[in-house]
Amino acid sequence: MDRRAVFFVGAAAVCAALAPATEHDIRWIPIAMAGAYLVFALLSIVDFWSRRREHED
Amino acid sequence: MESVALWLVVLVALSFDFVNGFHDAANSIATVVATRVLSPRMAVIWAAFFNFIAFLVFGTEVASTIAKDVVHQDILSIGVIFAGLTGAIVWNLITFWLGLPSSSSHALIGGMAGAAIAKGGFDTLIGSGIAEIAVFIVLAPLLGLLLGFGLSLATMWAVHKYRRVERLNRIFRRGQLLSAAAYSLGHGANDAQKTMGVIFALLIAQNEISPNADVPLWVVLSAHSAIALGTLTGGWRIVKTMGSKLTRLQPVGGMAAETAAATTLFFVSARGIPVSTTQTITGAIVGVGSSNRISAVRWNVAGRVLWAWVLTIPGAAAGAVLTYGIVSAF
Repeated sequence: MDRRAVFFVGAAAVCAALAPATEHDIRWIPIAMAGAYLVFALLSIVDFWSRRREHED
Repeated sequence: MESVALWLVVLVALSFDFVNGFHDAANSIATVVATRVLSPRMAVIWAAFFNFIAFLVFGTEVASTIAKDVVHQDILSIGVIFAGLTGAIVWNLITFWLGLPSSSSHALIGGMAGAAIAKGGFDTLIGSGIAEIAVFIVLAPLLGLLLGFGLSLATMWAVHKYRRVERLNRIFRRGQLLSAAAYSLGHGANDAQKTMGVIFALLIAQNEISPNADVPLWVVLSAHSAIALGTLTGGWRIVKTMGSKLTRLQPVGGMAAETAAATTLFFVSARGIPVSTTQTITGAIVGVGSSNRISAVRWNVAGRVLWAWVLTIPGAAAGAVLTYGIVSAF
């Protein structure tokens, strides 16, 4: 299992959960952070798969 | 008599700032020392200089937040501020002795809140102000981690076809001097302002200045001088934990971590949000380490750091409650 992707998904969830508690004018920050963490989680999964395939070959 | 007590507490506040520099500012030099860009002595001088000149770049928004948005001003007194500072200082010294990079900022906020609760109960706290600080207690290290990871990936992608490794390392080592300076600037701006905020609150509480006045220049200069002197004295046990125990860093990683942490600190300082500079740089270092592989991060050390964070606010608050009990008995 890709532990890094799991960590990033967890971080995205924390950022998203904090968005409602953030002041209105800077609420975009936790939302953007959650989005970025999800993108990095996806990239991490792709990286994990490609490394595993390389290893199997 | 009261004016003597006032100046004594100002002295205690500046001592806290000095201990903060001694305890926290070592983080600004951890990565440059770990990557051998500067010797420990030069790194300390470099960081202290940029800690000091931060007042020329940033305003005093963080100081205003500490003075006006944590505890209701009518509860503030010499005894409350003294107890809050003492709780924070004792906690900082305990974590320094244990070699844990806990947060002086959280210790200060915990101490002030604890002393105010001891005097007037939970109603003395300003909910909205504490909520914003609480949100960024979590968001600041996550932002540092995100930026550290992203910057590290972007840099490695930009140079991955470049074969002259020695030359690249030289460029990054020079770049790290700039990123370390930027981080020290951000650190000076955010952390020195916390002490400024405490002194500002004290002066307002004692009717020495109006609540609408600007932070006096002597307060600004003395707070920056105290933190810079603290940095100069260094904190080598924490340097060791931050620089090499969390993850091994190369100059490119050190530069990415410091740039990520500096960017986060510039933003929050301009916004007036007090955050933990320790947490921010730790997040950035973990982000850079995990851009290589997740096992590059020593999670057991990161876990110890996390426990210190969790315990800091209640620990400092308990120390402040105890101190206030003793102070008010006299």
